[in-house]
Amino acid sequence: MNFLKRYLLPRLLVYFLVIFLGITLIFIIPRLMPTDPVQEMINTITSQGAYLDPEAIKKLEDTLRELYGLKGSLWEQYINLWKRLFKGDFGPSFFQFPTPVIDLIKQSLPWTLGLLTITTITSWVLGLILGGFVGYFYKKKWAKLIDGIAMVIRPIPYYILALTLLILFAYIFPIFPIGGGASIGRTFQFNWCFIWSVIKHGFLPAMSLIIIGTAVWLQTTRLIVQNILAEDFVIYAKSAGLRERKIALRYTIRNAMLPQITGLTLSLGQIFSGALITEVVYSYPGLGTLAYNAINSGDYNLLMGITTISIIAIATGMLVIDLIYPFFDPRIRYR
Amino acid sequence: MRKFLIVLLTFVLFTLTLSQLPPNIPREETLIVDILSGRIATPHNFNIWTVAWKWWDRGIQQLMLEPLWIVDPVTGKVICALAEEMPIYNNNFTKMTIKMRKGMYWSDGTEITSDDVVFTIEAVMKNPTLNYHDIMLDYVKKVYAPDKYTIVVELKKPNSRFHSYFIDRWGALRPMPKHIFERAEDLGTFEFNPPISSGPYVLEDYDPNGYWVLWKRRTDWERTPTGKLFGMPKPKYVLYIFYSTTEQEVMAQVRHEMDVCDTTMEGLRIILSKNKYARAYIKNYPYIFNADPCVTGVTFNDAKFPYNIRDVRWALTLAIDIVDFLKIGYDGATVMAALHIPPTPAYTKWYYKPLEEWLKNFELDIGNGEKFKPFDPNAPIRLAEEMRKRGYAVPEDPEKIKEIFGIGWWKYAPDVAEKLLIKHGFKRDKNGKWLLPDGKPWKITIIAHTNPAHPMYKNAFALAQQWKRFGIDVTVLTTEQAATIVDHGDYDVATAGMWPATEPWGGHPDLYRTFYPWKSEYMAPIGETNPGHDSRWSDPRIDKIVEEMEKIDWNDPKVIDLGKEALEILVEEMPTIPTNLYPGIIALDEYYWTGYPTFENPYMIPYSHWPNFKYVLPSLKSTGRK
Repeated sequence: MNFLKRYLLPRLLVYFLVIFLGITLIFIIPRLMPTDPVQEMINTITSQGAYLDPEAIKKLEDTLRELYGLKGSLWEQYINLWKRLFKGDFGPSFFQFPTPVIDLIKQSLPWTLGLLTITTITSWVLGLILGGFVGYFYKKKWAKLIDGIAMVIRPIPYYILALTLLILFAYIFPIFPIGGGASIGRTFQFNWCFIWSVIKHGFLPAMSLIIIGTAVWLQTTRLIVQNILAEDFVIYAKSAGLRERKIALRYTIRNAMLPQITGLTLSLGQIFSGALITEVVYSYPGLGTLAYNAINSGDYNLLMGITTISIIAIATGMLVIDLIYPFFDPRIRYR
Repeated sequence: MRKFLIVLLTFVLFTLTLSQLPPNIPREETLIVDILSGRIATPHNFNIWTVAWKWWDRGIQQLMLEPLWIVDPVTGKVICALAEEMPIYNNNFTKMTIKMRKGMYWSDGTEITSDDVVFTIEAVMKNPTLNYHDIMLDYVKKVYAPDKYTIVVELKKPNSRFHSYFIDRWGALRPMPKHIFERAEDLGTFEFNPPISSGPYVLEDYDPNGYWVLWKRRTDWERTPTGKLFGMPKPKYVLYIFYSTTEQEVMAQVRHEMDVCDTTMEGLRIILSKNKYARAYIKNYPYIFNADPCVTGVTFNDAKFPYNIRDVRWALTLAIDIVDFLKIGYDGATVMAALHIPPTPAYTKWYYKPLEEWLKNFELDIGNGEKFKPFDPNAPIRLAEEMRKRGYAVPEDPEKIKEIFGIGWWKYAPDVAEKLLIKHGFKRDKNGKWLLPDGKPWKITIIAHTNPAHPMYKNAFALAQQWKRFGIDVTVLTTEQAATIVDHGDYDVATAGMWPATEPWGGHPDLYRTFYPWKSEYMAPIGETNPGHDSRWSDPRIDKIVEEMEKIDWNDPKVIDLGKEALEILVEEMPTIPTNLYPGIIALDEYYWTGYPTFENPYMIPYSHWPNFKYVLPSLKSTGRK
């Protein structure tokens, strides 16, 4: 009962409050932008060379505002939003009218989830292990070498790294395709051909994210480990003659893992916003470009859909980590 | 050793599965081109008749659908596609008769008849979610088919250009298949998937993620306007593919995985240096496609001080050294445009050459009884000299130079510009910077595009350099929201939003399309969305010319006289400054295919994103390479 009252309920309350405030902000902020979704639609059509005479433009503006549900006061639009959200309906995309937002998200989400989940977890694990050992055995030459490499890689702008990999392995040594999520003609099926095609196309994007991600996690873990090395229990363990490997793994890295778990949860929550630059450089299908286009075209509904999922994912991640943290850190249990 | 061999074998197998196309699609029978408008967000939806943007240029307008008529800017002709001839109007333009071409079929074997056109117009009138709904509702009193190949449209009010809504110029009201669409419950949400074609290709496959679409030639291609008028399209397959970056396009072309792509000048130069089979539209410098029916330049907010003053606009024009401007923005690779229409070969013939003498004699009144003739016919010669200094092979013959760079532009005359400004109370401070008549520093913010390869970006920065040199404090604001900002009139000067003049047809001398947006009834106050031209300029003389044009057939020779008269008014008033032709850059890889339209062989607009592209395909030849 105490646990429910003092631990769980307050966290649940904060959870729902964060989601409510987040969605409200996402409703308001795009409407403060100078982008007019109707004007952006008209501009897209006319900028390609298609012609809409002024008479047609005048009438089309009214029609589009009606179709987009942009008539009525802001309060009415806000209430309608919540009515739709409770039904799991984000409404139609403005820019891709009348395609429902949820359909657009369903199309891109698996690619984003697949690529970013794998790369986030892989780079976290690699970074944690490498950073842990580099931090613990910091005097060794190999540790200095690895740390040096991470230090060189980390400041490289991601776009440059991604493009370099593409030029190296898709052009100079044409091992991988130039872009796309799967080979032309391969449709989604659970067979080896499709899976192999996805792996081949996803290899370079994944590599680019893992390299940068690993460098970041490595350096942060190294810093944490070096702080932990100065702790009494580590000095005591060394004095007690415990093996170095045991001290490194069970005393040092295990403690360094704790703040990194929080970091991982946050990173996993953020995967729902996609990786825009990765998607652009590698023409990889994903939520990033969908979100970017939604912002530019003032597609309020699509923006709402993507950010709502992101908000819920991050808030849920934080709630979960809050609830399971005691299992990682026994000291929390005893409070 | 064994482990090494296993790794090597895996590697080789891995790379062997790298072919871009599916195994049953031979590369030598496939033409690969780029999708201009980006990743398709609605890949399952082929219903392009709705109000929303549906990525028409993924092959739908180029291969799948034929219009009634289509205009070609290179030949300057209107092609009758599904219509047998041009429309026939009654005397007061309240009735339009269309004759359909006989023997044309949808890809499912159903004949294309007048029923399809009647159904299309009626469907559009009934559904607000379909494009052209309001226009058709506004104009059409009645539409019917007296026989299988004739359509009669009776109009509520005269419109001598009602047929223009059916002329394909990167968009049109194209006939939809009645026998398919009449079964749809809601035409606004109907996806038309799988689609059927009136054009020579049918949908073979598409990427559910929106990066490519594969089309296959119809076995009965001869039952389409393309087949009838131009012959068999040579590629059996056409793949439209989108690469997000220029780097990918370049790599694809160098690897012969892209045959035609619309790219940047920087990308083109790399392709030409790495791929010996590649060429541009013009084989050597300036490389560009010189018949794009679009003029670029600068738009003033004519509803705002001081840009509402004609002399100020002219002063800013004379403060531009066009040679320097084009060197900075385009490395000289474009055509100068002194008039508010693109200087394509067709418009040069119809308007630029006939108005050349008028331009040379045109005078500005700069005050105190002083007159000035601003036109400079030698500007292209000077540009040619500058480009020779940069190492480009440019002809010496003035006529050839003018063919490449245009017939002239306005003089670079900062002294005259100064006089025009002083006439209206402007002055310079002690540092030579310009002050407004109220004594405040004159600051101009130019709203520009965000893409550095786009003319709307290049013009802004080239312009800023000119006006800064003249003594004005200029900043450039690049923003993705340019279209909305400019439309609402929240700007001083813009190179983004609309072009300095609405694009004309390109394939017809009628300029109604260009002048109509300047009609005063379409100008909204600042702060409201503006259906007319972004400059918010109007002139009763232009209103009168537009009204006269509305009363006559677009083929009436008087149309050209009215066009010239309006162009002269635009020069006098300079509501916007046209600077140059939109320099289209196309990279053509001749490794698998030759016979593209080029400067030496200009038989059609070469862009793969234009609907005319289907008419290019019968002229292509396979090189036989596998």
